[in-house]
Amino acid sequence: MEPITTEIVVVGAGPGGYAAAFYAADKGKKVALVEQNPRLGGICLNVGCIPSKALLHATEIFREVKESTSRGIEFSEPKVELEKLRAWKESILEKLGQGITGLAKQRGVQVVHGRGHFEDSQTLRVETREGQKFIRYEKAVIAVGSKPAMPSAFDLGNPRIMTSTEALELPDIPPDLLVVGGGYIGMELGTVYAALGSHVVVLEALPSILTGVDADLVRPVTRAAQKAFKEIRVNTKVLKMATAGKQIKVTMETDKQPREELYDRVLVSVGRAPNLADLGLENTRVTKDDKGFIQCNAQQQTEDPNIYAIGDVNGGALLAHRATKEGRIAVEAMLGEASSFDNVVIPAVVYTDPEVAWCGLTENQAKEKGIDVRIAKFLWGASGRALTLDRPDGMTKLIIEPETERILGMGIVGVSAGDLISEGVLAVEMGATARDLADSVHPHPTLSETLMEAAESFYGTATHALSRRSSSPK
Amino acid sequence: MDVKLPQLAEGVEGGTVVNILVAEGQEIQKDQAIMELETQKAVGSIPAPSTGVVTKIHVNQGMEVSVGQVLISIESSGAAAGATAKPAQNPAASSAAPSVDSPSRPSPEATAPPSQAADGYRYESKSGAPPPASPSIRKVARDLGIDLTRVKGSEAGGRINLADMRAYIQWLQEIAGQGTAAAAAAQSGAATPATPSQAVDFSQWGPVRREKMSPLRRTVSRRMVESWTTIPKINQFDDADITALLALRKKHAATFAKKGAHLTVTSFLLLVLGRTLKKHPRANSSLDDSSLEIVYKDYCHIGVAVDTEGGLIVPILRNVDQKNLLQLSQELDSLAEKTRQRKIAIEELQGGTFTISNQGSIGGSHFTPIIYAPQVAILGVGQGRAQPVAVDGKIAIRTILPLCLAYDHRVLDGADAVRFLKDVIAGLESFDEADLKLK
Repeated sequence: MEPITTEIVVVGAGPGGYAAAFYAADKGKKVALVEQNPRLGGICLNVGCIPSKALLHATEIFREVKESTSRGIEFSEPKVELEKLRAWKESILEKLGQGITGLAKQRGVQVVHGRGHFEDSQTLRVETREGQKFIRYEKAVIAVGSKPAMPSAFDLGNPRIMTSTEALELPDIPPDLLVVGGGYIGMELGTVYAALGSHVVVLEALPSILTGVDADLVRPVTRAAQKAFKEIRVNTKVLKMATAGKQIKVTMETDKQPREELYDRVLVSVGRAPNLADLGLENTRVTKDDKGFIQCNAQQQTEDPNIYAIGDVNGGALLAHRATKEGRIAVEAMLGEASSFDNVVIPAVVYTDPEVAWCGLTENQAKEKGIDVRIAKFLWGASGRALTLDRPDGMTKLIIEPETERILGMGIVGVSAGDLISEGVLAVEMGATARDLADSVHPHPTLSETLMEAAESFYGTATHALSRRSSSPK
Repeated sequence: MDVKLPQLAEGVEGGTVVNILVAEGQEIQKDQAIMELETQKAVGSIPAPSTGVVTKIHVNQGMEVSVGQVLISIESSGAAAGATAKPAQNPAASSAAPSVDSPSRPSPEATAPPSQAADGYRYESKSGAPPPASPSIRKVARDLGIDLTRVKGSEAGGRINLADMRAYIQWLQEIAGQGTAAAAAAQSGAATPATPSQAVDFSQWGPVRREKMSPLRRTVSRRMVESWTTIPKINQFDDADITALLALRKKHAATFAKKGAHLTVTSFLLLVLGRTLKKHPRANSSLDDSSLEIVYKDYCHIGVAVDTEGGLIVPILRNVDQKNLLQLSQELDSLAEKTRQRKIAIEELQGGTFTISNQGSIGGSHFTPIIYAPQVAILGVGQGRAQPVAVDGKIAIRTILPLCLAYDHRVLDGADAVRFLKDVIAGLESFDEADLKLK
C-alpha cells in the first residue's frame, strides 16, 4: 500500500498531542494525528481530568445537601442512580471527543486510528482496523502519555483491585473502599466514593497526604477528608493483597505494626508510568532516562533530531496543560522559531475538597534550596465571599522575594482555588511585584480579593486582616 | 514596506539568490515563498511577512545578498500592515525570516538613553529567579539572542520592558561601533595596512580564469582569518604507535560492518577524545572575552572535518563521551554522508567543543591545523605509516600516526597540552578490546 506522506505526525491525541497537531496545522503544516482510542482526547478526556471532575461536581451536591440544613434548607436524603450518573459523565466525554474530531477535520488534520510503532526515524507503522498503514514523516511528536502504575505484587487479575481508570467507570459503590496512595488521584477519587456512600480508608506510605505540597495548604484538606473519609492512615505500607471471596484481604503495616483488613474494592493510586512499551523507540535515536521517561531538550527535541516528545512521556509533573504548552514549543521549534521551555510557570491543581492550587516557587522549595523569601498570607475566614459560600476553610499566600518584592510563587487552598491560581501564574510570568497585585482593584465580593489582600498584608495594610508585615518561614 | 534579509544563523551573513519566485505587481499571500537563497550549506526559501502587492524587486538572480539588505518591497493590503517578521516555514532547510521595517517604531530619541545599560551589568537574584520580564519580552529576547541577565530593568522589582531592551541594543551597537573604530585606528597606526591586497592583473603573464568564491569558501576564509589573527596558537607534535590498534580494527571490522558501521581511525579517536576531554575539561572550554570568563562545557560535541566537493565542512557529533564505538562509527558514517550530500542542517554544524581534522585517508604527515574558534584546541591527524622505531632497545617496524594538537595559549599552557596529548596517545596505544565488543 502507498504510504501516507506528511510533514508532521503526532502520535497520541491527548491534550498535548491534539493541541500540537492543531497548532502545526494552523501554521500551515501537513499533519497526521495517530490515536489508538476511537475517541480522541487522551487520558485527560477519557480517563483523567474530565471524568473525574464530572464526578466530583456531581458528588459535591451531597455535601451541599447535608450542609444546607444549618442554613434552613432541607432536602430529603439524595439517592444515586449509578447508571444515570455514568451516562451523564459519558455524554460529556462524547461531546468533547466529537468536538476534537470536528476541530481536526476543519483544520485538515488527517486522523489515523490505530497503534503507532516507529520503524525508523522517518517512518511510523500504524496497526489500524483495516490493516497496517505506513506514514512517512519529516518530524514526529511523541505524545502517548502515561498509564496508572500497578505494582506486580497487587496485580492479582482481580477486578476489585482498580486503578483510576477502572474507578472512574463507577462499577458500583463498594461499602468499604481502600485507597492505596494519598496523592492527588487517590484523594480526588476517594472524595467521590466517600460522597457516594463508601467508607473510604486512605493509606499513605509517607507521613502526610499530598506529599510535596506546602503543609499549610494541605492542612484544610486533611481536616475535611478526616470528616468525609473513615480514616486517613499515614506511614502505612501495603505488604500483601489476596482475594478473599468477594472481598480483598489487605495486609498492611503502620509503624512496624502489621494488620489485616477486608475491603470490597481497592483503588491503587501510587503513580503513573509512561506508555513507551512497544512504540519502536529502539528503531530511532530517542533515549530514555533511568526512570524510563524520554529525554529531550528545552525545545522538546529528543536525541533523534526528527523526533520531539511532549507531556507525560517526559516525566516531571504529569499535567495536561504542561503537555499542551510543550506541544506548542515543539511545533515552534520545528518551524525554526526561537522557542524554548524557558522558566515556564506550570500551575498545579488538586481537586480535593477544598481544592489546592499553586504555581511558581513553593514554600517547601524555598526552604529546601535555602532561598530567603517572605510569605504573605490571607486567611479566608476574613473573606466576605468565602463566608457567603459557607466555605471559610481557605487560605491564599504569596511567596515573595524580599529585596525586589517580586512575586515568585503563589499557593491557594479553598473552593475554586484551581480557577483563582491563574492570576498567580500571570503575576509570576510577568515578574509582578506584591505592589502590582495590591494596587490592582479586585471586584467585591469575590474570592479573588484574597489575592489582593494577601499582597496588601505583605505591607501590613490588608483591609480585612490585622496583619503584621509578612513573615519569613521558619 | 521593505522586506530585508535577517540574520539567518550563527556565522551566516548572507547568501546567493538562486531563484526569485515573485514578480513586480504580483499579489502575494502571507508566508508565500518569495525567493530561494543559497547559504553556505543549503537552499532555503524566504516567506513573505505579509499579504500584499510586490511593488519592487531589489535583487537579481545570482546576486549576493547580505543581512539587512532590502530584498523586495511590498505594499500591504489592509490588516497586514502591522505584520511583523515571521520565522521560517521550512524546518528542515535554512530558510529565513525576513525582517520588516515597521513604520510604528519610535525614533531613537524617544527611547531611554543607552547609558542605562551599564557596562558589565549582570542580573543576580538571591532566590535564583531569572530576570523579571513578561513572556512576550522573553520571546523577543530569544528571537534576537539577547541575554536578559545583561539588561537592566527599569520597572518595579527590576522588571525589563521593551524600552529597556531597546536601550540595551542601542548600547551594544554603540559599543560595537566604538570597537570597530578603535580597531581601525589601531590598524592604521600599525606598519602593515589592513586593506585587502591590491588587485593584481595576472593576465599580463598568461591566460587566467576567474571563479567566484562560493558562500562556503568565503565562510571558511573568513573564519580562518579570524582564528589566525585572534588566537595565539601553539602547535604540539607527537606520534602514536597504532600497530596494535590496527590489529584490533582488522579483527573486528567485519563484525562492525555487519552492523553497517565503518570502523575507522577517526572513530577510535572519537572514543579516546571523548574520555580525554572529560579528564581535561579545559581543552573542552571556550573563552568569553566580554566577561573574562572561561566557559567549561559539561557536554562534549566533537566536530569532524569533512572534505566535500564544495570544500571543508565540519559537522558535529553530539555527546561523544556518552557513546560507544559502534554508535560513534555509525553516526560518523551517516553524518559524513549527509555532509557530502550537503543535506546537513545548520544546527548540526553548531555547538562543537573540539575538532578533529584527519587527513590520513588522503595522505600527509604532521601538519598544523587552525583552531575553530571559539573552541580552544584542534587535533590534526596525518597518515599512519610503517616506520622503523626503537622498541625495548631493538629496531622494529611499527605503524606510526603523526599527531598535532594546536591550542589557544590564552586558555591552555604547554604543560596542559602535553598532558592532554599524552593521554590521547595512551588511549590509542593501549586501546581496550572490551570497547570493541558489541552488546
